Amino acid sequence: MFRSLINTELHSAMATGQASTKPPDANEYGGDEISALVLDPGYSTTRAGFAGEDVPKSIVPSYYGLIPSESTPKHAKKLFGDNSINIPLPRISISNVMSKEGTVEDWDTAANLWEYTITSRLTNTKPTPLASNGLNDPNEDIAMEGVEEQEKPLGENPLLMTETGWNAGKDREKGIEVAMENWGCPAFWLARNGVLAAFASGKPTALVVDMGASTISVTPVHDGLILKKAVTRSPLAGNFVSNQLRLLFASSQPPIPITPHYLITSKTAVDAGAAAQATYRTFATGTEPHPSFRHFQEERVLTEFKESVVNVWTGPGRLGGHSPQGGTNMDVAKQHPGKPFEMPDGWNQMFPAIDRYRAIEGIFDHKMALSDANNPPPSPGQTITALISSSLSQVDVDLRPHLLGNIVITGASSWYAGFTDRLQQELQAAHPGVRVRMVASGQMVERKFGSWIGGSILASLGTFHQLWISKKEYEEHGPGIVEKRCK
Amino acid sequence: MPPFKDEHVLIIAPGSQISLAQLGLPESFTPARLRIPTRMFPAEKRGEWEATRIRERKVTNTLNKTEANGHPRGDITMGEANITMDGQAAAEDQEDDPKYEEDPTSEEGAVYPLRDGRIVDWACFFALLTHIYNTMGPPFHTPILVISQPAWTAQDHESLAQFIFEKFKTPAFCLMDSALAVCYAYATPTATVVDVGHGKCDVTAVNEFLVSDFGRGSALPGCGGEAMTQRLHDLLGGKGFTSDVCEQLKKSPICEILPPGTEMPAEAEAYAHASNPAAAASTGASGSGTGQRGSIAAQGGAPRGPGINTEVGDADEDREFKDGEDDEGVLDVAAIVASGKTSEFLAKKEREKAAKAAAKKDAADAAAVAKERSLPNSKRVKATFHYHERRPLEELNMNGKRAMDGDSGQDGGEPKRQKTPEPSVDSAVQVTENTAAARKEERKEERRRNREGTAFIRKSADVGLERFQAASGGILDQIADAIHRCILSYPDISKRSDLWDSLIILGNGFKEALVGTLNSRYLISPSSATIFTSELPSNFTTPVATGANTPQPQHHPPSHHGPGVNPLLLAATTASNPNLAPPGQSQQQLHQQLQLQQYHQQQMQQAHQHSSHAQTPTSIKLLKMPDYFPEWKDVGMEEAGFLGAQVAAKVVFVVDQGISKGFMSRTEYNELGPQGIHETCL
Repeated sequence: MFRSLINTELHSAMATGQASTKPPDANEYGGDEISALVLDPGYSTTRAGFAGEDVPKSIVPSYYGLIPSESTPKHAKKLFGDNSINIPLPRISISNVMSKEGTVEDWDTAANLWEYTITSRLTNTKPTPLASNGLNDPNEDIAMEGVEEQEKPLGENPLLMTETGWNAGKDREKGIEVAMENWGCPAFWLARNGVLAAFASGKPTALVVDMGASTISVTPVHDGLILKKAVTRSPLAGNFVSNQLRLLFASSQPPIPITPHYLITSKTAVDAGAAAQATYRTFATGTEPHPSFRHFQEERVLTEFKESVVNVWTGPGRLGGHSPQGGTNMDVAKQHPGKPFEMPDGWNQMFPAIDRYRAIEGIFDHKMALSDANNPPPSPGQTITALISSSLSQVDVDLRPHLLGNIVITGASSWYAGFTDRLQQELQAAHPGVRVRMVASGQMVERKFGSWIGGSILASLGTFHQLWISKKEYEEHGPGIVEKRCK
Repeated sequence: MPPFKDEHVLIIAPGSQISLAQLGLPESFTPARLRIPTRMFPAEKRGEWEATRIRERKVTNTLNKTEANGHPRGDITMGEANITMDGQAAAEDQEDDPKYEEDPTSEEGAVYPLRDGRIVDWACFFALLTHIYNTMGPPFHTPILVISQPAWTAQDHESLAQFIFEKFKTPAFCLMDSALAVCYAYATPTATVVDVGHGKCDVTAVNEFLVSDFGRGSALPGCGGEAMTQRLHDLLGGKGFTSDVCEQLKKSPICEILPPGTEMPAEAEAYAHASNPAAAASTGASGSGTGQRGSIAAQGGAPRGPGINTEVGDADEDREFKDGEDDEGVLDVAAIVASGKTSEFLAKKEREKAAKAAAKKDAADAAAVAKERSLPNSKRVKATFHYHERRPLEELNMNGKRAMDGDSGQDGGEPKRQKTPEPSVDSAVQVTENTAAARKEERKEERRRNREGTAFIRKSADVGLERFQAASGGILDQIADAIHRCILSYPDISKRSDLWDSLIILGNGFKEALVGTLNSRYLISPSSATIFTSELPSNFTTPVATGANTPQPQHHPPSHHGPGVNPLLLAATTASNPNLAPPGQSQQQLHQQLQLQQYHQQQMQQAHQHSSHAQTPTSIKLLKMPDYFPEWKDVGMEEAGFLGAQVAAKVVFVVDQGISKGFMSRTEYNELGPQGIHETCL
């Protein structure tokens, strides 16, 4: 009933729009009965859900599997979703649709992946049955047009998509193109994820520190508008910590191998530090998964390690500094409790506190970062404190205290134990005399999906409906409209 | 609006194969009254559907005609049927008067609207709902509760709500997630529900009656019973087993999925017995002798160390469980009852006793035979099972036995297992001894009987080790991985170990194997690194009221302490006797060291109070099935979701009457439209 109502409205709107030459009425899209979709692509996961809900219903890894086809090597089969990409299928390889910068790298696959994210849990791949179940028989010509409309997977829902603060112009245009051309969205909007995270915390003015998987970014937001020039970012985020752990494991004596779960058939309890005694799974020659699959699975083990062992040194001072009692903080840290961790193959060890602190200290103190040939040491300007300082130095001097008083912490990688306390200390030390206040949700879900939640709030506001870029406007102005409208 | 009554509540639980429905809530909740296959047949007119296949059929006037709504007459004699098929067909063509009849046994042309949980044919699905509704014939003031599959999307929910309200004009509608329904059945707010269905498996974490969408393994493809049948077919297809027979084999008790680490019975075992039958008899029936160990190595198994949860340990547990010994653990009782194998265990025990008696009485040669008989299924190389072979439709339709199969869905929750006969061990021994020629004769007889027109042929066949390999295609690994992923995706880290401790596995036969797989792959053993440090000794300083000295047992003191001896341990062992303190380190120093350490511990605790990070699982447990629904005891909890649906319907419709917004009322639907379902569905 509602759907056909909207269809009728849209079609009549289109009909009048085509006839006239006057600029489109901003209020043309009147579909507040249909909930908008919010799509928030990140490096680790892609989140999607209906606006107005408190958590995204559909969370799909941004990684996808590729199975090379035997006959035509160019046409590999793509696998999406947690259920398929964790199975060690023959010769499976894992790639990511996003680049390490947090922007889209492979548009074709990204469009497929996003479509999967939305249709698998939210809408349906099949054309809507409501028109065909005989309950609402629309009149003939609308039905005909409706058929075309419904072949597109998202023909009914307006779409709000998030982007990073440094998304390039052509990527923004590509975004609206996919939404309008491929999916047939009736309306579209592109929003900065930093701004949305600020909304989710109820702050129109804030300094948003978003610690994701591949990038940590600092976004100043003033009255709901992004201060684009002052956005700073660096790669010292979740994956950096994973790589620090890999280096730590490799440098320990003897080196600690990471054997992911899929290679283990069964494990046996062994003493701490003793060699693992496990039954390993073997693959026939030619059917082994690609090394990228192993890397992806190792990442699962490292995530578990990060969740259960890694800890941020909470001071006083830096881990590499001196303690107030005299002596170095390293010596103090040695007195702290360790935590045991068991690898999938049964190997286990008590990880001393110094290692637990060391793995993440690099994001605060570049000198403490481990490095090797493949992992160059970070530069002083890449640490989180440097990013915040350099971002602040680029905004109006009057605004700085206000931003420091509203620092919004978001992103799943900010969930390390002690992260917020440490950041508070560092910033207070760097900005004496200014009140530094953190806004960090104690709910992991809110921290993890901050920008999605902000998008959900924004798209469900009644007043937001005037802002949507309607399909008709897109058809009239082309993809360039996104630059003009979505500042 | 008048209050809803127990007897008016309609519950529908659509599944990929069987849909369950019931009108009214009985005093004590029973298994579903209506069980019908989830399929419809396209009718003559396009867009219309029939519940049973309608065939155009030429019928001579001498035969009984089919009734409009009833079942076709089953009392046709074979002679007549043969005439119909062979002789009279040509004559009837001239009559030009096609008759239609329903054929409840045929699946030809059937459309299954749900595939792997997803709705693939909406028109057919709606027709099925309508058929169920009409079959139940509810009064006008009937609230409806539908169990939704995890694979259904938000838009599917809307479509369903719209259909239910506009077609059935129901006053109230409740859509409930199947995993949540299972939690209601088990009366638990927190559980990890593993629901293995026909073509797929759903893995869901539920906490405080809230279904978690994070990492939910909904509709894992190729992880259902169908995949196991397929696997058996792959293994046995070369030996003339059709997939229908494989399906029956899968349901028969001889088809077991052994927990990981249980070695397959090897041919070599027989020789071991022959070499020393007396020893074999004296060691009892369990087969833990050297021959058994040898076979592990022979099969290239893992090195097995001593200790808890090693593979040997698993095998032992399994054996105890199979023998039905007095092991009253949560897991075992639940598993035994749920798997419906209770009678089998008892039988086995009896046999075992008999075997032991025989061994005592007789000499060594008799012992070997007894041993063979007393072996549980999992230790035998071969076992025999009986199956029914279905005859083609024409024959079937003639002989009046169809009620046995096609209509069994109607007779109210008859457990599937009952349809398959128990394997007879005696005949197993015989058949194993028999030559192939004997079986050939049997088949000959079958053929003879076939010619006579018997529809259900009871056949037997012996199956080798393949019967243990239904899940060898990696299904258990996939499901286990999905469970691990699902629980480790749960955002609240402190809840994860609760989720591991409250597993609910729906489906028969592989519970032990799945739990075994989880244990052997994911269980975190207590680390020997924490053995002295995880708990403070009891004779350590008594905590005083200031709290300054209160031990912090949840924090593990560091493992390095300079000289290598843990000062806590040292303090504990020397506290009562100062003379034991090592030379060169006074008690004073030790105390200082301890105090410093405690200071840091407190600091640490303040620093990350919100962090309760720890690895999971340190234990994996199955939830016990509730025992206060006697009707469900015999049936097993495979369809626990339906029990939960009744509990929920009672609470939501009858007790609560809509105060807590457990359902969507017609008024709300009129105001909010189909989208309102998202705010009210459970």
